[in-house]
Amino acid sequence: MSALYILIPVALLLVGFAIWLFFWAVDSGQYDDLEGPAHSILFDDEDPMHKAGVEQAQKPDERPDNQEPPRA
Amino acid sequence: MASPTPCFHCGLPVPAGSRFHAQVLGATRELCCPGCQAVAEAIVAGGLEHYYTHRSETAANPQNLPQALPDELALYDRAEVQAPFVQHQGELSETCLLIEGISCAACGWLIEKHLRNLPGIAEAHLNLSTQRLQVRWTDSQLPLSQLLKELRKIGYAGHPWQADSAAAQLARENRRAMRELGVAGMLWMQVMMATMATWPEFNVDLSPELDRILRWVSLFLTTPIVFYCCGQFFRGALRDLRTRHLSMDVSVSLAIGGAYVAGIWSTVTGQGELYFDAVGMFALFLLSGRYLERRARERTAAATAQLVNLLPASCLRLDADGQPRRILLSELQTGERVLVPPGALLPADGRILGGQSSIDESLLTGEYLPQPRRVGDSVTAGTLNVEGPLTVEVEALGDATRLSAIVRLLERAQSDKPRLAEIADRVAQWFLLIVLLVAALVGLAWWQIDASRAFWIVLALLVATCPCALALATPTALTAATGSLHKLGLLLTRGHVLEGLNQIDTVIFDKTGTLTEGRLALSAIHPLGELDGDACLALAAALENRSEHPIARAFGRAAQAAEQVDSVPGQGLQGSVGGRQLRIGQPAFVSQLSGQSAPPIPGAQGQWLLLGDGQGPLAWFVLDDRLRDDAPALLAACRARGWQVLLLSGDSSPMVAEVARQLGIEQARGGLTPDAKLAELKKLHAQGHRVLMLGDGVNDVPVLAGADISVAMGSATDLAKTSADAVLLSNRLSSLVQAFGLARRTRRIIVENLVWASLYNGLVLPFAALGWITPIWAALGMSLSSLLVVLNALRLTRSPKP
Repeated sequence: MSALYILIPVALLLVGFAIWLFFWAVDSGQYDDLEGPAHSILFDDEDPMHKAGVEQAQKPDERPDNQEPPRA
Repeated sequence: MASPTPCFHCGLPVPAGSRFHAQVLGATRELCCPGCQAVAEAIVAGGLEHYYTHRSETAANPQNLPQALPDELALYDRAEVQAPFVQHQGELSETCLLIEGISCAACGWLIEKHLRNLPGIAEAHLNLSTQRLQVRWTDSQLPLSQLLKELRKIGYAGHPWQADSAAAQLARENRRAMRELGVAGMLWMQVMMATMATWPEFNVDLSPELDRILRWVSLFLTTPIVFYCCGQFFRGALRDLRTRHLSMDVSVSLAIGGAYVAGIWSTVTGQGELYFDAVGMFALFLLSGRYLERRARERTAAATAQLVNLLPASCLRLDADGQPRRILLSELQTGERVLVPPGALLPADGRILGGQSSIDESLLTGEYLPQPRRVGDSVTAGTLNVEGPLTVEVEALGDATRLSAIVRLLERAQSDKPRLAEIADRVAQWFLLIVLLVAALVGLAWWQIDASRAFWIVLALLVATCPCALALATPTALTAATGSLHKLGLLLTRGHVLEGLNQIDTVIFDKTGTLTEGRLALSAIHPLGELDGDACLALAAALENRSEHPIARAFGRAAQAAEQVDSVPGQGLQGSVGGRQLRIGQPAFVSQLSGQSAPPIPGAQGQWLLLGDGQGPLAWFVLDDRLRDDAPALLAACRARGWQVLLLSGDSSPMVAEVARQLGIEQARGGLTPDAKLAELKKLHAQGHRVLMLGDGVNDVPVLAGADISVAMGSATDLAKTSADAVLLSNRLSSLVQAFGLARRTRRIIVENLVWASLYNGLVLPFAALGWITPIWAALGMSLSSLLVVLNALRLTRSPKP
């Protein structure tokens, strides 16, 4: 039970830090657009350049020399 | 008539005989106009053709975007023009542009990808909710005007955007709501851990000392929840008490405040139950409900609110020596002369000094045909010059224009707007009265039985009956329904629409652009000579090929263009096709060419144009504003609900009566000014009717603002959209029919939720009165009933049956 004497202040510190971090994130506009990023990440997955990059990354042995780095 | 192929880019019908194609995604696609063709080709050339696989809505037609002239864009490169909205950081410039033409999430992807591929762009980020583009670029490599042109190339218009006070406040409120939600959530979890440890159900072997520490810790953590996060409830309660209302806010504040004060008492004395976790849970649930509701409603509403650009950004002023010079509208003074080229908006009210043209006033008056204007006639700011160049002397600017008078009318109408009663507030009122009464009785009874327990039992009763589920019942249902409606293409911008739809008994429709398409379409061809209809159409289209007149658009774009085309304002066009001299337009004008007398116009309906050559007349073309295909279904839906239907139009042509006849509307009036429309609405209100208004033009704006519920078409002017309670983004009237159905379902779900919440609170009341309720049961009951309410509301997200 004596561990609680340390754990309670630690919990308070952690939640204080989390709130500070959250305020920072809100103020820097990270929560302003909750829609766009959700879509764009899906679109990028189907982007032909991205697909080509992933395919090349999955088959590294076939064309080891002139391989382009995968593009996101 | 076979339905025409939709344009691959914008979805508008491809005119017959159109020759616009583009290679997209490995197939040849039909396009409706050179604008769409250029945009589609630019997108493909940029390697971004996957936009077409991602998108969920068709794109905006590039010709519907406000036209910008190259030298107007160049104005934005001037340092003093840039100063208010561009920040400089060394090499990089940064600005925020409001983007017009966004129809779905794929547009955001397309804009960001396209810009990032350009040299000189450091960063481009589009906020889809507010439609604002944050961009950082090197001005020396890519001037701002070039950047705006690049956006136009892929079919979007960018406007420099400055946060006005309303937008800034909205952004602040949004962030504050997010912070309150986050703080409530994070602190509640901590409070729950600390508080639960003191409950006998979880207690293993808690020393009295630790018990005291945990009580103080939870008090310490709950305080910010109450004072930081719940401020809006207390403020709302205070406001409602002042106006002698018992609302949901009063009920919520009482529960939170009561539990908190009792918690302080119990912490200080070390006696009694702790209800801090209930405070946190309550705060988090309610704030989530309100936050989601706010987000669902705000989406594009915030963005459209900014675009009240009914006036052009710049104009051509004539100097003393008669030379035109492009200046910003803000630099224009009364008494100066401006040159208005065909296809441009009039920048100010004034009088015509030179030139002859026709003016498209459809947005301002509802007249669907351009009105001829000549020297000495007065013209109005915000209307469109269609045919010939005009020299206009400026008589009124800014606030003094007729346009601003309409805006003022709007403000007056808005302040008179009746408020529809919300069912939740009425339930809350009764609920609160009953709970307070019961609490008083129970307190009195226990005072007689066991005075030491009376306080705690009354408190448990207040917390256990705290109307969490009741308060969530409406916002969750409205949020879910708003989301489904958004998918259908109806954007709700104000909260009372769904509930209010059930109280409506009268509907007012506008005609031009609402029940009709709002643009002229070819409805019939009557050949007079040996040439058949298609051949005549090809000749007419060739003549009209370059014209900006709305009539010309009805002919579609021709494969071949006529040579030496002359426009005679108010009369028609003349030109030669394949060496053959042709005229199209007024019968008298066309007949001059062959020297014959003008044939009489055979019909009354629509606009009749004659095509003729040197030998005589060739064909009649009938142009008309077509009814929207789904208008009859909407009218039928309105009648099925027993609503009274009115047609109020600014158009003074016989078209009003014709539309009313086709749709079977008995009460139709044409030629109404905005004032007269508003007076009509006031009369209906005075008779006790609840009115739904559907409209699109600036002349509808005061009525839209004053009606109980107003819906603007997606193609409406921005002013109309901002003054309406809902915007029909899809322009499909059938979405509105579905919205009526969904409104009914929403009401049923709200009632179910309210019944369930009241039932739970009613059931728990006797147990609380007997003193059996401990904090754990209060917490369990509260979360279970809230969960049930939310799940019930989620049923509304399933797409409604057509």
